[in-house]
Amino acid sequence: MFSGPPPTDYFAIFGIENKLALDVEDLQRRFYANSREWHPDRHARAGAEQLAYAEAASATLNDAWRVLRDPVARAEYVLKNAGFDIGEQRGRDVPPELLEEVFELNMALEEARDGDENAKAEVARALTKFEGLLKEIDVQRDGIFVNYDADPNRETLTTLRALLNRRKYLQNLVRDARAGLA
Amino acid sequence: MAYSDKVVDHYNNPRNVGSMDKSRTDVGTGMVGAPECGDVMKLQIQVNSATGIIEDAKFKTFGCGSAIASSSLATEWLKGKSVDEALEIKNTDIVNELALPPVKIHCSVLAEDAIKAAINDYKTKQGAPVSAETVSH
Repeated sequence: MFSGPPPTDYFAIFGIENKLALDVEDLQRRFYANSREWHPDRHARAGAEQLAYAEAASATLNDAWRVLRDPVARAEYVLKNAGFDIGEQRGRDVPPELLEEVFELNMALEEARDGDENAKAEVARALTKFEGLLKEIDVQRDGIFVNYDADPNRETLTTLRALLNRRKYLQNLVRDARAGLA
Repeated sequence: MAYSDKVVDHYNNPRNVGSMDKSRTDVGTGMVGAPECGDVMKLQIQVNSATGIIEDAKFKTFGCGSAIASSSLATEWLKGKSVDEALEIKNTDIVNELALPPVKIHCSVLAEDAIKAAINDYKTKQGAPVSAETVSH
């Protein structure tokens, strides 16, 4: 098993199927087991080829663990492998029904900066709302994961991509609101 | 990246900042946003319904200097124009006037979108039954 280069695919390095909905506890067990097995110290005297394999496998495993344990990073990994442009998308995915709220939040943040206590309450209210929306998005995301695993197709990934854009947008709002209250 | 003098001028002395009563039938409101940077822009026009001339324009923008300058300039240009003339304003006009660099072109696009959205809202209100507009907010 130490001949040739180790897998570079993040799912393959764990020996699991390419699925979006995965069991993170199982992933963690595999991470610990594989980390022990491939730790370079254990292969230091086993010859150059085996050591090189262990080092490469350990490095990929660490990267893969960091990415796959996080649902958003995992989804972005799958999207990127499917040819989607991550992070550079200039799509107009601002939910129009949210714009009014975003505007009001910014107004309140500005007033809160000027020391208006009522505005702080407004920011807190907006924060609660946006945090709720984030939770809803994560539920939707998990639903899309299951759908994609059952029937992998590009349309589902496009939906996922748009959802992650919205999530990022909301996350920025939550960050701004928290900073405004701090 | 250095801002042009005109951007700095509009940023430091934004024209027509403010807001109008969006429930009025002679006021059109355009609210647009850019997901990538979180910019949000509100632009409002008040139209003389007899002449179709835009008598006043206000904006409030949360975003970078270019977004603020683009919307400030847009309100300046809107005043005194007819609604149809206002629809002729293109984002490239704003880019040229403010000397916006390529990375800031989306700010001018946002301003053009806001103008169109405000006019759209005004036109919808003019065509819509009056009863729907008397509801206060």
